[in-house]
Amino acid sequence: MRGVLSSKELRPVYVGVLLLLLAVGADVFFDPSGALLYLCYLPALLVAGASVYRASLRNIRRGEVFDENFLMTIASIGAFAVGECAEGIAVMLFFRVGEFFEHRAVARSRAAIRALLDICPDTATVLRDGSEERIDAEDVEIGDLLVIRPGERVAVDCTVTEGCSAVNTAAITGESLPLDASAGTLLQSGFLNQSSLLYARAIAKSEESAAARVLCLVEEASENQSRQESFISKFARVYTPIVVCTALLFAILPPTALFLYDGRLLFRDFFFHALTFLVVSCPCALVISVPLSFFGGIGAAASRGVLYKGGYCIDALAHPDIAVFDKTGTLTRGVFSVTEVFSVGMEDAALLSLVSAVEHGSDHPIATALCAAVPSVMRAEGFQEHAGRGVSATVDGATVSVGNLALMREVGVAPTPIRGEGTVLYAARDGVYLGAIRMTDTLKPEARTALDALRGLGIKKSVMLTGDRRDSALAVAKALSIDECRYGLLPAEKYGAIEALKKQGSVLYVGDGINDAPALTLADVGVAMGALGSDAAIESADAVITTDELSRLPLAVRLARRTVRIARQNIVFALSAKLIVLLLSVLSAAALFPFNFSPYLMWIAVFADVGVAMLAILNAMRCGAIKKEKQL
Amino acid sequence: MKFKYEITGLDCPNCAAKLEGMIAKKDGIDSVKINFITERLTVESEADEATVTDTVTKTAQEFSPKVNIAKK
Repeated sequence: MRGVLSSKELRPVYVGVLLLLLAVGADVFFDPSGALLYLCYLPALLVAGASVYRASLRNIRRGEVFDENFLMTIASIGAFAVGECAEGIAVMLFFRVGEFFEHRAVARSRAAIRALLDICPDTATVLRDGSEERIDAEDVEIGDLLVIRPGERVAVDCTVTEGCSAVNTAAITGESLPLDASAGTLLQSGFLNQSSLLYARAIAKSEESAAARVLCLVEEASENQSRQESFISKFARVYTPIVVCTALLFAILPPTALFLYDGRLLFRDFFFHALTFLVVSCPCALVISVPLSFFGGIGAAASRGVLYKGGYCIDALAHPDIAVFDKTGTLTRGVFSVTEVFSVGMEDAALLSLVSAVEHGSDHPIATALCAAVPSVMRAEGFQEHAGRGVSATVDGATVSVGNLALMREVGVAPTPIRGEGTVLYAARDGVYLGAIRMTDTLKPEARTALDALRGLGIKKSVMLTGDRRDSALAVAKALSIDECRYGLLPAEKYGAIEALKKQGSVLYVGDGINDAPALTLADVGVAMGALGSDAAIESADAVITTDELSRLPLAVRLARRTVRIARQNIVFALSAKLIVLLLSVLSAAALFPFNFSPYLMWIAVFADVGVAMLAILNAMRCGAIKKEKQL
Repeated sequence: MKFKYEITGLDCPNCAAKLEGMIAKKDGIDSVKINFITERLTVESEADEATVTDTVTKTAQEFSPKVNIAKK
């Protein structure tokens, strides 16, 4: 606090207070009159207001009249001129102190947001000609060998060449579990090496690396205004002129009318009250605090793996009516695994091993998934692919065929078809049916809780759109209690479905961003999951979740909601403070109160200006605060 | 060409918008954007860097001596 109070910006305030006390002392003891009285107070006024007067003169020369400096100039000199010398000076001093705290609040909230985004180191250690050199991250070239010590952040995207270590990826992916990095692991800039030394080869320049992309997205996001922000900037443009004109009319019309009516001379009173109008005519609290709220929200979300593309996305994400999901890769892992084995006359394990050996000859995604899941101990040779049906090979001298029912018929067996979700692989050896294996795409483990959380947040309807077959689609929809499920859709039909849903309410579309860019764009708000690598997805989505965890989705909605709520609070708070001051000053001028507010009006007005601005900024800072939120 | 600067010393987004307007009127400036929150000034211009930096710095000084501009 001492550092704050000794700030250079406050010096004129201290001197001003001293001079004001001296002047008040002189006023009380010597009771000067006329010009002498003004002379007493003049030094204090000049010291307190000097920089404000200078700024306001500069603005007038430029033809800019209505800014807070000008208004404070008129208000303080006006009060001074009507004989309220101490008041004019004190109000100016109060204003300066308020401004000082307002600036500090802005600086603090900027620093808080920057700290959230400070994920990219400025320097990197590279190994050149056998010796280590510390260079600027910008100067790292593709192909440089980086030395990454424990506790250091990765400066550019790179691939590990040597060493094993646990790496914290939270800054980029929001993921809290560390990544085990070893030779071949891809590291993105912003990752934090935690346990031991790593050597890695740079594969991108720093400005094209992950951290730079995240920063760039976040910075651009602060320029895409929300409804509240554009309302405020439009409002700010008309607000000041309106208040100033009202003040002018207020100073002239009512006293003139009264004078003509019964000859009372109240010009001085009304002029003084009109000054309070001027003090609250600066829309500063609004124009600072509302964008700051949104930027705080963007920053807080970014540090947890949710990137909003702008204020307008936060708006839309705060209150969606219908949540529409793509199935594969969004609700499910997009990776097939063995869920059932139906063997005939042999061990399940033996069947799996045999099928896996044969599937090594195919590069169909299902075959690849099976081979990854079941390591084969047998050797197959003489692979033969049957396009669209399966594959066959020779194992231990016998011909083994693995594929669909059509292939089974070709090799002369007719098993009972197995129905249900997923894909079923049938196997036969030398014309004898061996059994079948069901492979299904598994649900993401957190899908159920994430959907329940969304329902808890007031989503009225959930819809799943998929190109997949009926059985697989219905199984997923049932497991997650999805209200509406449409299957077998072509990409164009997905687009049409969203168009229809938009008539029922605001649509949130969640996809993996790889082939659903049109749907992401069309929906009221599109969220791409795990898509930081895909430019097309980032381009078409309104928000990007950097991991593929669905649990971030309710988090994204909640953060959006909190941000919008705080921004609204600020709008209401700042506007009503100003309105109250305007009302007070009208009512007290008209002497409609039993209690006379007039002596305090100027103070209340200055507080409604700078005090409210400061409180609103402090409130806005809550948006950027990372609270330990209960697990979703 | 796009030129990026760090701009400090602005009081509020209102002031930022005013300075933006002043810079936009200068010769050779195609577009200008000031982000008050990130304190970033982005200018597009066909002119060379020295000229743009000069124009921008002078305009900022004219606007208020408190405003400071540094090349990013």
